[in-house]
Amino acid sequence: MIKQHHIALRNVGRIDPASIQDYMDRGGYDALKKALQTASDKVVHAITQSGLRGRGGAGFSTGLKKTYTSQASCVLLECMRYIVCNADEGEPGTFKDRIIMEGDPHLLVEGMVIAAYAVGAERGYIYIRGEYHQSIAMIRNALVQARTHGFLGNNILGSGFSLDIEIKLGAGSYLCGEELTLLESLEGKRGYPRIKPPFPAESGLFGKPTLINNVETLSHIPAIVINGARWYRRLGTETSPGTKIFTISGEVNNPGYAEVQMGVSLRDLIYRFAGGMKDGKPFKAALLGGAAGTFVPESLLDVSMDFDALKAKDAVLGSGAVIVMSNDQPILTMLASILRFFEHESCGKCVPCRVGTKQLVDLLKRLTGADDNRPDHVDALVYQSELMAKTSLCPLGQSPVLAIKSAVRYFRDELEIPPISQSRWR
Amino acid sequence: MDDRVIIFIDGEEISARQGENLLAAAQRNNIPIPSLCYHRKLTPTGACRLCIVKIKGKGGLFAACTLTVAEGMAVTAFDEELEAARRDILDYLLSEHNESSDRSYEDEFKALVVRYGLDDPARRRFPAVWKTLGLPIDDSSPVLVYDASKCIKCFRCIKACGEVQGKHVLSMANRGIQSYIVAGLGVWGASECDGCGECIQLCPTGAIVEKPNRDLLVTEIPEKRVISVCPYCGVGCQIELVVKGDRIVRVNGVDGVKPNDGRLCVKGRFGYAYVGHKDRLTQPLIKRNGQFQPAAWDEALDLIARQFKAIKAKYGNNALAGYASAKTTNEDNYLFQKFIRTAFGNNNVDYCTRLCHASTVTAMLHALGSGAGSNSIEDYETADCILVTGNNMVETHPVTATFVKRGVAAGGNLIVIDPRWTPLVKYADVWLQPKLGTDIALLNGLMNVIIREAWIDEDFIIRRVERGLDAFEELKVVVADYPPDIVEAITGVAQGKLLTAARLFARADKALIATGMGCSQQTTGTHLVHTLINLCLISGQIGTIGSGINPPRGQNNVQGASDVGCLPMSYPGYIPVADVANRKKVAAVWNVPHETLCGKVGLTTVEIMQAAHSGGIKGMYIMGENPMLTDPNLNHARDSIQRLEFLVVQDIFPTETSAFADVILPGVAFAEKNGTFVNSDRRVSRVRRAVDPPGEARQDWEIIWDLARRMGCPMKPYGNEAEIFDEIAAVTPFMAGIAYHRIEREGIQWPCPTQAHPGTPTMFLKQFNTASGRAILHPVAYVPQTEKADADYPFLLNTGRILYHYHTCTMSRRSRALTDFSNRSYVLIHPDDITRIGLKNGARVKIASRQGEISTRLKASSEVLPGELFMPFHFGESPVNELTRDELDPDSKIAPFKLTACRVSAYQ
Repeated sequence: MIKQHHIALRNVGRIDPASIQDYMDRGGYDALKKALQTASDKVVHAITQSGLRGRGGAGFSTGLKKTYTSQASCVLLECMRYIVCNADEGEPGTFKDRIIMEGDPHLLVEGMVIAAYAVGAERGYIYIRGEYHQSIAMIRNALVQARTHGFLGNNILGSGFSLDIEIKLGAGSYLCGEELTLLESLEGKRGYPRIKPPFPAESGLFGKPTLINNVETLSHIPAIVINGARWYRRLGTETSPGTKIFTISGEVNNPGYAEVQMGVSLRDLIYRFAGGMKDGKPFKAALLGGAAGTFVPESLLDVSMDFDALKAKDAVLGSGAVIVMSNDQPILTMLASILRFFEHESCGKCVPCRVGTKQLVDLLKRLTGADDNRPDHVDALVYQSELMAKTSLCPLGQSPVLAIKSAVRYFRDELEIPPISQSRWR
Repeated sequence: MDDRVIIFIDGEEISARQGENLLAAAQRNNIPIPSLCYHRKLTPTGACRLCIVKIKGKGGLFAACTLTVAEGMAVTAFDEELEAARRDILDYLLSEHNESSDRSYEDEFKALVVRYGLDDPARRRFPAVWKTLGLPIDDSSPVLVYDASKCIKCFRCIKACGEVQGKHVLSMANRGIQSYIVAGLGVWGASECDGCGECIQLCPTGAIVEKPNRDLLVTEIPEKRVISVCPYCGVGCQIELVVKGDRIVRVNGVDGVKPNDGRLCVKGRFGYAYVGHKDRLTQPLIKRNGQFQPAAWDEALDLIARQFKAIKAKYGNNALAGYASAKTTNEDNYLFQKFIRTAFGNNNVDYCTRLCHASTVTAMLHALGSGAGSNSIEDYETADCILVTGNNMVETHPVTATFVKRGVAAGGNLIVIDPRWTPLVKYADVWLQPKLGTDIALLNGLMNVIIREAWIDEDFIIRRVERGLDAFEELKVVVADYPPDIVEAITGVAQGKLLTAARLFARADKALIATGMGCSQQTTGTHLVHTLINLCLISGQIGTIGSGINPPRGQNNVQGASDVGCLPMSYPGYIPVADVANRKKVAAVWNVPHETLCGKVGLTTVEIMQAAHSGGIKGMYIMGENPMLTDPNLNHARDSIQRLEFLVVQDIFPTETSAFADVILPGVAFAEKNGTFVNSDRRVSRVRRAVDPPGEARQDWEIIWDLARRMGCPMKPYGNEAEIFDEIAAVTPFMAGIAYHRIEREGIQWPCPTQAHPGTPTMFLKQFNTASGRAILHPVAYVPQTEKADADYPFLLNTGRILYHYHTCTMSRRSRALTDFSNRSYVLIHPDDITRIGLKNGARVKIASRQGEISTRLKASSEVLPGELFMPFHFGESPVNELTRDELDPDSKIAPFKLTACRVSAYQ
């Protein structure tokens, strides 16, 4: 029997999130105390050893990010370093960061202070999605409490290490969740993606070395500091250790979230945690990773949900969003919704994304209309999304190809049939 | 060489500079990687994606414009996949693009469309979507039109405005396919856009186009393009005149050359219409019975020669005088002063420099041995600290200001000293706002702090200053009287700001000063510039590359007219007339007996007018100047000019001054003549003829030459302007190495003593030009101004310029583009004062001083301090110089345009 395994969610629902005392009663801030008595490079080492990978979607090694940031710091001795928490959770179907921030804000704060200590950052920002009112209130309260208790501010717990953290609010742009765009926005500029390289570890916020991590990623750090890298490595799979919060929505009986070890099967997520398909309808597909994600059909229900196993099947884990579709839902409708989303969220900076997202939506409209060139349009969808993936400036323009190619691969017939039977979902 | 790397593009070995942009390196080697959003002058954007390439060892495609070259980098720039992707991207762009065109602009986008065969609609893959987008057109600007449906959103205009011009007016509205460019909050004409047109110049297609001459600009029709120098301020921007028929229809900045690297301001780009204006003087006019009547050249010139000779015979040589011109070429001015010195036989030649920077030049000549700016315009971009004092640079030297703004953007500190808010204050780290006329106390205060905090450069003082520490001790005694609290009491500048400014300036590695009329046009002007020089000297901020003191010149050729000898005390090259050895040298070149050259220093501009009043001057020859609007105390000046027995005015338009003339001679505008101008950086640049003069107008130097002949003092014949310049070079040691063939592409900065000399970007690197080779400290105490506000005249009036007009508007008001921006006189008054005197914003008022009175409109603005007023001097209908005083600075004879006690009352 597969069970939930809580690291990021270990206190959620068990404590009053507005009470730092509750958090401390359950061992909160012990990890910080321990970390501050350890050399910072040892902390970085532990995180690297743990194999923790970023939970924002890309799955980059968190330890390596920290190594790069702290190395950059060594070169630029006197220069300011920043830590930024990406809490601009905007991927459709994803609400894991919100659960953490609303239910256990101190865990994020503690993880962030430890990470800042590890890389030597003196100033931090939490960039929260502006519509997350409860998250904002909880984090704000937690920061005040942490400051009062000496976990934040000057000379934290007498260690000589100082850090302050400020909240910045996103203004509704999906793209600002992309880390380089987020940094632009943090600097007060319009949310346009930056040219990469340089990477944030080298030249991030205000041109200074910056560590930028997702909420869920940072929330794993206290546990790793307390229990050690080896403990963490025992969880999950070989290359994707640890746990992951999956947020399951769509045609299931109990939509919600579950934190489980990496490597769980999609079937278990749906049938054991989400109560199975709604009204017992047959499963058709799941969209993994949100809009910037891939469709998986029934044949992949038993694939291991981790970064690399999914990649091997041309699918993505992404943010951990699982949007479940039953067999009476047209793929076309879901695809149209995704493409409209990208058209709406494209910043317009680079040509392939600006024009491509619009052209894709127009193509989809033709597919849903009475048009006899349907196979051609399906080919055009693939062709254009590949062009966009190849030539776009940032991940947004590189994303539509994921949904389009997986939809075409598994559901091509459906995209080519006349639209009459799809009327319900138009 | 260590700073080079070798890269390979499609197998071809290419040497690139370390850190060079890959696309730039490819373009430099004529590898035609297509691109639309990249421009040499801008930071890479990576938006158009056309410059995608493959890099060996790395997966995926990369925009070449976003890559830096690295040793051994192997690049695939052209293969089938890349070219197909590029064609598709262009096709995408076409689908959102409105292709209709009036063919009036260079279309880089269209050129690429043709190159990729997409001009044939059958070869396009993607359906057009632009019609469904409903993108707007903004034609609210006086000078340009933006059509969003033609825009390819390459960001070049946004960056042109922000990065190149430092204005940051443009940005993108909306998102994705719906995005387009907006100025300010959305309406171009209501935004802060000042019409410099940098965005037009960098737009790769027809989205942003200039408004004037749209019907004439069709690019297929062959047109003439002539490179010349802008006729407005002293920055000396190189411009390209586009000519259709015999009419200038467009002006572009010339890219890749100094001083401006393509940048222009609104006057330079749009102020050309005056050249072909119907008001131009086209034939000589002789006043008969109070009426001007056309006359033949022979008649007019004979009359002039006869009259001048008669005055000479009746009153002696010294009864004649001439005003040269800061607007005409070196060649014109050189012959003019030669005419005065040989045909009039005196040294009564001067020009408007006396009204602008005479005090600056006097102080700098005395303390440093040279009156010209010590540095180059591009040094502002790399300075650690820039001190701009009494200089409304954004409006008066807009292109210089772009260098300052870029210097600030690159991390330099900016200190602005000005009694009035100027747009440059927006970029400043600290703004010191002294009360009018208290600058010397303020600058002494800065030195007081610098000495107190031991920020002086003792080594510099010992090595480079005459009498070293002894001289410094004397200065120390004087500035000891100006501790910050006293300075605050005198100037109103808070002590903290004084401290900050002193620290930023003295502790900077390289600090540059730009001074201006605000300093020079005071009765204490020379003293004030001395205090500025003292400040440089004690902190060692002069004599190295990137540090020094610079007076940006107000007119296109103020510098040159002085350089070629239009000064009452010196021959070309600032060689004193009083020395007989000098007279002998000059006489030899001019081929006249040296005894005929007068050894007595002549009269200066205002002195000439005063002598006319007192009867000492009876006849005058004025070329391209309008003293009846620019001289101080106009009532008096008008009275003076009316007392002349004979006045000749040579100009391109009728002016306030030509109304008093006996004969008016039609000269030619800058675009109709060949020659040279010298800019504020001492750069000698070529002016070239682009159009023919109107009617019978003649080259100014030919008129002078002809007049000399008719007066019986013939000059040698000159075949062309180059020959005149060669003579200038022969008598002007610091220009000896300059000749036309050396300045075809880019000007040379004097001193340039030999043909092999590259010119001098920075002065005083080894020594100063004083007799001792060292600079001279000249301590100056603050003396309160004699002109004071009192119960009758409770306000102090400051005067100056605005961006859209130039001098007396003879040129700028004849260009519709400029008058559309601004065409009305006003006086700035503090809102508190406006309430106190019980008048309304916009009311017509009478302004009176002890000298005269005028009317204008009130404009409430906290740009001025309470008790102070500001008025632009351009507008003839509200001639502010009716109010100003002609009390002169004893050292330089400059008049105090910046300080006049006035009263303001309702207009009856």
